[in-house]
Amino acid sequence: MEQRLLRNGLRYALGLRTVVIGLSSTVYLVLGTAPDRVMAVAVVLTLNAWSIGYAVALVRGSRRTRRWLPLADVAVVCGACLTQTWTVVSDPSGGSTWILVVVNLVVVTYPWQVGWPQLAGATAAIVTAYFVGATLADPGGWLADPAIGPWTAAQAALSWGLYRFVRRGARAADRAVDGAAQLRRAAAIAAARRRDEREYLAALHDTAAATLLMVGSGVLARNTPWLAAQARRDLRELQRSADAAQGETDLVPLLRDAAGTAAVHVTWYTPDRLPLPAADAVALGRGVREAVTNVARHAGTDRVDIRVDHDPDQVTVTIIDRGVGFEPARVGPDRYGVTRSLVERMTRIGGRARIDSRPGHGTTVTLTCPRVVTDSGGTDRDVIAASFQRGLRWAVVVLSLAILLLLDLARLLTSREAYVSLWPQLLTWAGLTAVTLAVGVATWRDRPLGRWRLPLLALVFGLSALATSSVRPEYLLGPAHWSEGDAGWQVVLLMMDTRIAAFAAVLAAQYLMTFGQAALAGEAALSVAGAVSATWAVLAFQLAIAMIATVLRAMAGSSAKALAAAERVRTAEAVARHLHTDRADRMSALATTTVPLLDGLARDELDPGDEAVRRSCAAEAARMRRLIAEDTGTADSLAHELRACIELAERNGVTVSFADRGTRPELPPPVRRRLVEPAIAALATARGGTAARLTVASTGRSVTVSVVAACQPPPPTPDGDGVHRSTTVTGGRCWIQANWQGEQ
Amino acid sequence: MITAVVVDDHPVVVAGVRAWCALADPPIEVVAAGPTVAVAWLDPGASADVVVLDLQLDVTGPAYGDLKRLVDAGRQVVVYSMRDDRDSALTALDIGAFTYLTKAEGADHLVAAITAAAAGTPYTPPALAGAFGTDERPQRPRLSPREHQVLIEWFHSESKEMVAHRLRLTVHRVNSCLERVRVKYANVGREAPTKAALVARALQDGLITTDEL
Repeated sequence: MEQRLLRNGLRYALGLRTVVIGLSSTVYLVLGTAPDRVMAVAVVLTLNAWSIGYAVALVRGSRRTRRWLPLADVAVVCGACLTQTWTVVSDPSGGSTWILVVVNLVVVTYPWQVGWPQLAGATAAIVTAYFVGATLADPGGWLADPAIGPWTAAQAALSWGLYRFVRRGARAADRAVDGAAQLRRAAAIAAARRRDEREYLAALHDTAAATLLMVGSGVLARNTPWLAAQARRDLRELQRSADAAQGETDLVPLLRDAAGTAAVHVTWYTPDRLPLPAADAVALGRGVREAVTNVARHAGTDRVDIRVDHDPDQVTVTIIDRGVGFEPARVGPDRYGVTRSLVERMTRIGGRARIDSRPGHGTTVTLTCPRVVTDSGGTDRDVIAASFQRGLRWAVVVLSLAILLLLDLARLLTSREAYVSLWPQLLTWAGLTAVTLAVGVATWRDRPLGRWRLPLLALVFGLSALATSSVRPEYLLGPAHWSEGDAGWQVVLLMMDTRIAAFAAVLAAQYLMTFGQAALAGEAALSVAGAVSATWAVLAFQLAIAMIATVLRAMAGSSAKALAAAERVRTAEAVARHLHTDRADRMSALATTTVPLLDGLARDELDPGDEAVRRSCAAEAARMRRLIAEDTGTADSLAHELRACIELAERNGVTVSFADRGTRPELPPPVRRRLVEPAIAALATARGGTAARLTVASTGRSVTVSVVAACQPPPPTPDGDGVHRSTTVTGGRCWIQANWQGEQ
Repeated sequence: MITAVVVDDHPVVVAGVRAWCALADPPIEVVAAGPTVAVAWLDPGASADVVVLDLQLDVTGPAYGDLKRLVDAGRQVVVYSMRDDRDSALTALDIGAFTYLTKAEGADHLVAAITAAAAGTPYTPPALAGAFGTDERPQRPRLSPREHQVLIEWFHSESKEMVAHRLRLTVHRVNSCLERVRVKYANVGREAPTKAALVARALQDGLITTDEL
């Protein structure tokens, strides 16, 4: 965004400069008088030709061109300043000269073209040249007004301040967007890690769940040595799963398991143990499995070295074979299947995979996994999108007050002879100051102008008309007619947060009204050319502020969006993390009920043919399956409430098989309650020792909770909240459904 | 006699499947069983009518590659998995599995699924019906409202009689709805021998017309 802003800013600045210099100098040539007409035409044409050429060259030019070209520009402008003897008439009623407009514009637009030391140097040089030229043309006269020096310097400083300010805004917006993107990446990595960990936990529980399921289904009439052996294996896996649920698992046995299936002989170089977060261990394990399988398939060797190195920052697993190798550049990703999926898998969890190979020199696969997950902190929280716009408003408030207090007050007090009476001038001055202060207060309290905007605008127009009407006609549009351009600043303040077209229209209306008044009053102080020159300089500055406000608004919008997106990601991430921990806890809590059963089977103390043993195994298997199938990504309040009622039923000795299909829409709480109620009633009254089936099917616009159980038929209840209930009884079993049809 | 090969690394599961098959009518002979898919490629497993394949949840993730190779070799594969989620079932079916059974459904449905696979007639157990009924992927086949209703009710219930009773249909009608859905899925699935066989047979039997595909 900053780059775009700088590019656009440069274009706007050069455009403004070219157009305003062109217009003001041409108007002067056509309407004004010059001491030496031929010389004046030559200077104006040359300067405009240079100005256009300079703008084009600066936009298109290389970095080097941009460095030296402004130097040439300063020289040209200084040269133009020195020609004032031939090109400018010293006439106080002219308001301003075209050369002064050029000086103003050039200095004001330099901040977008050069750095601040060059800006200071250029301003000093141009102001000096101006004074030399003016003194030559009009020694000690009006042209060489000493106030012009500080005023030009002040304008340059102000413009530079605005430029810095906008740039800071763009940088903050960039940071906000970057921060949001970074956060999304971090969240994606965290989600991938959680998914891996979940799958790993599920895999570890799977084998025990299968054992209990088969014993529960009654296929084994008595205990056998292999059943006891399996139960012992299951116990070991569950132990690993308990470790994994605590967040850590030992990498070394996991790698040995992963490499064990391929028909290669592995030489290991590993530490005795290396506890790692389960997600990292699983990812490394899968990588090793893939790499070793590829050695067996493609390397033409059955020997491989696997080395595990670790330091506090990262864990590195290296798989080295001395087989045939391959040319990585020539082999498609599908042929040596290892490359793409391996790299993708490691990147997904924030790690890296590297494959080095050369024909005849074997292959080395290096898997790296960071041990510290970088936390993309929320430093952007303090960046409030609207603050830039507020800052710009403050800047204009300060600028307006400075103009009113330092310039206008002095001018109106020293030009009493120019007014029909003084009080309308003082009233206008006080009124404009009050409007400025009002906007200042609104900015300070961070309130929008809202419905105050129109009355205040009307007030500014009224005051401006009042002040103009009390200026003697021969002083109209001259320096004594201070309100002509300066009332525009209050318009800028009031219209700043509107669209640029509305802004320009209202501002133009303000000027046209004053010009109209002056035209009606007849003979004005300024020639038309002088009036145009005098107006351009101020108007250009005011329009530039409108442009900056528009740019800032766009930036504020995109950074606000980015911040909001980042906030959503943060919330979702926190919820996901919570769900994940919750699930891991419940996984490890399973051990308290599962371990005694498996232990009994392992020691041959429990008989799988015994009805009670079967029932407990079936119930336990159902619980485990439910937990394994549960996806924290889709766990919602409905699933949560159903889980609670299943756990209650299980305490009464009812074995509940649960299945949940489909993606649910967000359900309003009354709908959720009505959907869950029949399930609660049925499972609460189900006879102990029986089995029940609880299912949820969701499609985009419909959710059905269904329960089949040996229970009391529920009393008929009226439908409501769009939930329809129905009951069928077949052979002592009730089938109750609650269905919700959302809006299509 | 129907022959089957069981790929499962869990001895208790293998013992269970053997027990169910031995009690089946007509009986099913489990000619081989083992922990890796090699058992289905080597004799005597290579000639078995039906492959019962565990998706083998372990560190390497589900064995979809093994499934694809078996399907491409023209084997009738009954996926028999601990995974009880929609996406695993739909993925296995897309690859060309004959049917998808969760382990919890084994006692009630495995024998029937193996028999159906050997005969080449569609078989949709409740968990798979739930996956079909809530499928929201863009490439899903177009189902009639009745077919959709039967799928969802079959997923919720315990027997086809219950579905028939509830929807006031005959069990035969419930079955033909389920078969049509299965054929429609085969039709949008990957080019595989299973697909050709299912669709051709359904057209022959008049279960479905070419217009409906």
